[in-house]
Amino acid sequence: MIQHHPGEELLLTLAAGHLDSGPAVLVDAHVERCASCRAQWRQLQAIGGALIDDAEPALLETHALARTLERIDARDGTSNANGSIQRTITTPRPPLPNGAIWPRSLHGSTISRWRWMGPGMRWSRIELPHEPNASLHLLRIAPGRSLPIHSHDGIEFTQVLCGSFDDGRAVFGPGDFDAADGNVHHQPIVRDSGECVCLAYVSAPLKFDSKLAAVIGRWIGM
Amino acid sequence: MSRYNRRAEVNAGHARAQGVTRYYAVTYRPGGATMPTNEEFQQWMDAVACHGDKQAFAALFKYFAPRIKGFLMRSGSDAALAEELAQETMVAVWRKAASFNAEHAGVSTWIFTIARNLRISHFRRLPASNSLDEPGMWSADEQAADAPDAPDERMFIEQREHSVRQALAALPSAQAQILRLSFFDGQAHPKIAQELGIPLGTVKSRIRLAVNQLRRALDEFNPKS
Ligand SMILES: [Zn+2]
Repeated sequence: MIQHHPGEELLLTLAAGHLDSGPAVLVDAHVERCASCRAQWRQLQAIGGALIDDAEPALLETHALARTLERIDARDGTSNANGSIQRTITTPRPPLPNGAIWPRSLHGSTISRWRWMGPGMRWSRIELPHEPNASLHLLRIAPGRSLPIHSHDGIEFTQVLCGSFDDGRAVFGPGDFDAADGNVHHQPIVRDSGECVCLAYVSAPLKFDSKLAAVIGRWIGM
Repeated sequence: MSRYNRRAEVNAGHARAQGVTRYYAVTYRPGGATMPTNEEFQQWMDAVACHGDKQAFAALFKYFAPRIKGFLMRSGSDAALAEELAQETMVAVWRKAASFNAEHAGVSTWIFTIARNLRISHFRRLPASNSLDEPGMWSADEQAADAPDAPDERMFIEQREHSVRQALAALPSAQAQILRLSFFDGQAHPKIAQELGIPLGTVKSRIRLAVNQLRRALDEFNPKS
């Protein structure tokens, strides 16, 4: 049962098409999995439909319809073959624990192999094709292990793929979404139920309390 | 008959049938263009999808292309880009007509999502044809196998589209303004706060109020939820 959701503001920004790709991948990953957010997502998109209906019609260029039909004719026949074959080539992905599934919102991105960052802790870098610099990672943490205590200069979004963790504020389980900012100083501890894999986005490097953790954070790029 | 009169009549019918009280938004529209009915939109979509009917496509084009362009210009695109994206949106309508899922959205909403995605692709510098071949920019738009929607949602779509409009019109103007700005301005909410001279917290709380009010209006329409 999903307990933690992105909230109205993020869903609205995503529906309006104004959320940056990094955070958008996480919110999208949540919405694909959460029926109640998906219902809200559709309602918010319907606002877009209403705004299209209400838009002041703008004068089109002369022959706009003819041009559009020409584009259609030009692209019919050429398109599908090449396009879809390329799309089906996917880069290899690191293995996930049993029961975890890849969010479809990661479609097209490059996901590195698991790398060690401490006992029971591994990470993987995700590169979005159109925004390779967005700081997007997968974290894979063993039961009972914890991330170093930290705060935030920007925002940190987390979407839980499997397992669960407790950061003192709440317990986050499969499908849950969390947003943390400068007001949150926390140490996520993975619960004993099993390995925890999270998708994480940070808009600015985390502020770790310990110097060693800060070094590791810089190395990982979080 | 103006689109709003027609709507008001349709909705009055729903309201009478359900025995509930509703408010009707009758908005003055300069030019008084008549909006095709949702049924007509559906028929045109079917004709395009099943028969490649260019006349039906022309009818959709006549209604939507100028509005998409107007919407995009209102969102800050210059006229040339708005024209380009409006035409590309209509190309996508043609090519994706068969994948239009009336269980998920009304035609206007579906077309909004295409225009929105093409605008994003443009700013990400992806070729338009690329995004057309993708399964969809947002996985949230696709049916999730492990979290299916109610099977009989289809009949409620038209009501949802109507009631979203009604609820929008019935929102306090400050809330409606924030929603519109969120769509049009491509601006982060902190910037909207700055522009309106109100604290960011107020922007966020107005968004929350507005979205919750929308949801209540929709729940009223949909007895299942
Ligand atoms: Zn949710």
